[in-house]
Amino acid sequence: MKLPELFERKRFILLDGAMGTQLTQRGLRTGQKPELAAFLMPDILEAIHRDYAAAGADILFANTFGANPKKLDGTGYTVEQVVSASIDCARRAADTTGALVALDIGPLGELLAPAGTLEFEDACAQFADMVRAGVHAGADLIVLETMTDLYELKAAILAAKENSDLPVLVSMSFESRGRTFTGCTVESFAATAAGLGVDGIGINCSLGPVEILPFAKRLCRCVPAGMPVFVKPNAGLPNPDGSYDITPEEFARDMLEYLPTGVSMVGGCCGSTPEFIRGLRDTFAGKTPAQKIPVKKSVLCTPVRCVEVNGITVVGERINPTGKKRLQQALREGDSAYPCSQAVSQAEAGAQVLDVNAGLPGIDETAVLTHLVKELQSVTDLPLQLDSSNPKALASALRIYNGKPIVNSVNGEQTVLDAILPLCKKYGAAVVGLTLDENGIPKTADERVAIARRIVCAAEAAGIPKEDIYIDCLTLTASAQQEGAMQTLEALSRCKRELGVRTVLGVSNISFGMPCRGYLNSAFLTMAMQAGLDLAIINPNTPEMMGAVRAFRVLTSQDEKSADYIEAYAGVQVETTQSIKTQAAAQPQAADGQMSLFDAVRRGLKVEAKAAARQALAVTEPLTLVNETLIPALDAVGDGFEKGTIFLPQLLQSASAAQAAFDLVKEAIASSGTQGESRGRIVLATVKGDVHDIGKNIVRVILENYGYDVLDLGRDVPPETVVQAVRDTGAPLVGLSALMTTTVASMQETIEALHEAGLNCKVMVGGAVLTPEYARQIGADFYAKDAKASADYAKQIFS
Amino acid sequence: MELVLPKTLDYAATLRYLGAADWQPDENTESLLRMAEQELRGACTPRGTWREFPESPAWLQNAGEDIARHLAGCDGVVLMAVTLGSAVDALLRRLCMKDIALGAVADAAASVLMEAVCDEMEEQIRREQDQKKRFMTGRYSPGYGDCPLALQDDLCLSLDTVRGIGLCVTKEHLMAPRKSVTAILGTADHPVTGARAGCAHCVLRETCAYRKRGITCETA
Repeated sequence: MKLPELFERKRFILLDGAMGTQLTQRGLRTGQKPELAAFLMPDILEAIHRDYAAAGADILFANTFGANPKKLDGTGYTVEQVVSASIDCARRAADTTGALVALDIGPLGELLAPAGTLEFEDACAQFADMVRAGVHAGADLIVLETMTDLYELKAAILAAKENSDLPVLVSMSFESRGRTFTGCTVESFAATAAGLGVDGIGINCSLGPVEILPFAKRLCRCVPAGMPVFVKPNAGLPNPDGSYDITPEEFARDMLEYLPTGVSMVGGCCGSTPEFIRGLRDTFAGKTPAQKIPVKKSVLCTPVRCVEVNGITVVGERINPTGKKRLQQALREGDSAYPCSQAVSQAEAGAQVLDVNAGLPGIDETAVLTHLVKELQSVTDLPLQLDSSNPKALASALRIYNGKPIVNSVNGEQTVLDAILPLCKKYGAAVVGLTLDENGIPKTADERVAIARRIVCAAEAAGIPKEDIYIDCLTLTASAQQEGAMQTLEALSRCKRELGVRTVLGVSNISFGMPCRGYLNSAFLTMAMQAGLDLAIINPNTPEMMGAVRAFRVLTSQDEKSADYIEAYAGVQVETTQSIKTQAAAQPQAADGQMSLFDAVRRGLKVEAKAAARQALAVTEPLTLVNETLIPALDAVGDGFEKGTIFLPQLLQSASAAQAAFDLVKEAIASSGTQGESRGRIVLATVKGDVHDIGKNIVRVILENYGYDVLDLGRDVPPETVVQAVRDTGAPLVGLSALMTTTVASMQETIEALHEAGLNCKVMVGGAVLTPEYARQIGADFYAKDAKASADYAKQIFS
Repeated sequence: MELVLPKTLDYAATLRYLGAADWQPDENTESLLRMAEQELRGACTPRGTWREFPESPAWLQNAGEDIARHLAGCDGVVLMAVTLGSAVDALLRRLCMKDIALGAVADAAASVLMEAVCDEMEEQIRREQDQKKRFMTGRYSPGYGDCPLALQDDLCLSLDTVRGIGLCVTKEHLMAPRKSVTAILGTADHPVTGARAGCAHCVLRETCAYRKRGITCETA
């Protein structure tokens, strides 16, 4: 057959059946690598391909599923050799019928960071090796299949598209709950893969035809029109011993159910045989695939969460350093724990998307934004809005983003459109267009709609579908341009109506420079929602803003039976008090019955500690509060822990309470503009190769509680990153953690690297398998048996 | 195959993992335990796979004295692998950001659930062995005693855990998802008990809090 037939959808295209189970049945022994069949048993491999071709398969998947550098390591064969021999073998068989040969690529067998330790670009490079070998060997197309990790699939798609011009078909394996092992949904898969520009999307393996059917139907609804959908189910569900027992006839009968779905390519996976494909040929002969009628939706996603923008959708604005001293400091210092905690708290408050901005004078935006995106996607499953106008930073962040993000933003300037739209297209991102251009922000709605129209045209010309375009008609400050508010809203309604696009607004700007900003913000938000606003960029931690959103959803019947509203507010009592600022400052003392900060920390009560700290900070200098209250309270708890009267869960609750208080202290210091006097800098890391970081996280919180500036480099940190951080910060103390015997080696490497770099710092180490003796052997200065011991050692170093 | 979480989380075991054995938790800690359990139940997707081998695979032959002792007298081997799934890892990362106390309690609780799910899997295998009138040792995992962690690679490959349950091994032989267990069990035609590693080769020998109190982790 010819390649274009794949996309014409005039008849059903037949794919082949299982390879692994066939190889085993025809003599592959336990311990022999199936990847090497082209060398171990070339005749048998070719016979399998021939049998599939004779049975009617239009496309033969070469035996290259596991021919990646990782799996071939130690076999004595290169990727090039295995791919070439395997494709040649399939080609000889294909030539008997005119079938096409696909370079078949499966998972690498390792999870990408943060779940595992494989870096995204390493995965890309391994897939790229296979792709180049496949192109060289003359494959007709590329199939990426049996994927369970969307991130790995993205790496493979990029490798395929960047190293070949061949069509790329992709398929993932779903469990019966409708998610892959890593939790990826059908919708996230479709949105991401289609966005990355693949040529066909499917589902294979794990389940039989009956179980896959509902997922295939969902897939057909969300894959763009014109893009073929395929299925390659297993021969039913496996028996406990791994065998399959449905017959080719039963398989074909079950597959008939796919006729009306829009699926246009069918084949088999594990347990299927040439007989199964013959059965499919007989069943689907002369039949035409049904029309696939996808529903056009505006979606943003991560693997586990697909957010449909249909009705008001909340974008958390907190991870943007503009006007936020604490975040500025964190970004400058490379501290990702703070923005990550902001992500978690915004998600809990009801954000559905998170804006991420790392634009700050004097920092390397590309490096910081990319690192931030990686860290954020390890702690939140909300889609991100990548907020930057720097094409380099966007390209880098878009590349490592896991899912389908939205880019904020382009505007009407041609140079900006030219630089950024192709990036959005390549990486399958939605895009925000600001209604301004080289002449600034137009005053009238007319002019803004005109710019929006230009942006929409440019985006569509770049291949970005209308449902992925979001127009921002720009919120002006009411204190400066009072009549601007209505112009913005008029432009917004017209963009929706006339251009058929989604809309977005950064709401809080309306109240800049005004007192009691919450009133203006929530009123403007409500007006904008009524005008048709889709994405509201707001602070979800402000109760009145989320209140307005939830109320709007009730009143517009989006919140069925007011269920979300009731869940959020049942049991909540709103207290609105307006106190005069100057008076509030004059009433600092803890109210009667309120717990002191010391007691709240000692007893591990977070809410009370926060309240008490807020009160205390009104009259006490932040550092005095730390020295005279927080640290003595922590010491009291620490002493109890050492004596065995206080247990770890209690110690941690105290730490958590102190942390809540400390957040306020840090905010107070940051907003006072003074450089807070640091008690000392400490760099922490879980060493390269190790992903167990609970111990390190506990140590971080405790050290921060004692007022140290802790730079937490995270887990799986290479020695050179630790060296660089110590060099940059001049930290006199480094804490390293490793859980397993296998990773203590990289702890030693890290210590040696620090010594070789001539850095004058002490190193403390901790982790389950370490002992004082072992710590000495690997060159550490101190063995910390627990978090308390690390705080004691820090005290010693910084005294 | 899909496995089921135990109906209740063993709070006492969770506290023991947190170094607070025999402690009667206060109200706040109990509420943390409840919260951790609830979050974990929403995130766990326990899956397991196992396979019986009539003879010990080649890679198991020179894997240390401890595993040899464990398999002494056995003429067959069962390999098993169980995971709570990758959503648990993501959950634990998120909880540590939100509240370190909750994060640490949830981490320990996940290990307790993991253990229970392993028991469930072992029980299933044992029932099948019973029917065949075969006997089976307890579980022995790579990394115990002098048995190298590197064994993890071959063990997972033999079970095809990547495709079967989504369990991968990193370059450093650590499992991902993190809350996963692999184990080796010996089978025989006569009663066998196996031998856990004991303290002699344990890497924690020097620092073990249990040993200092004159007990072992198995009896605690």
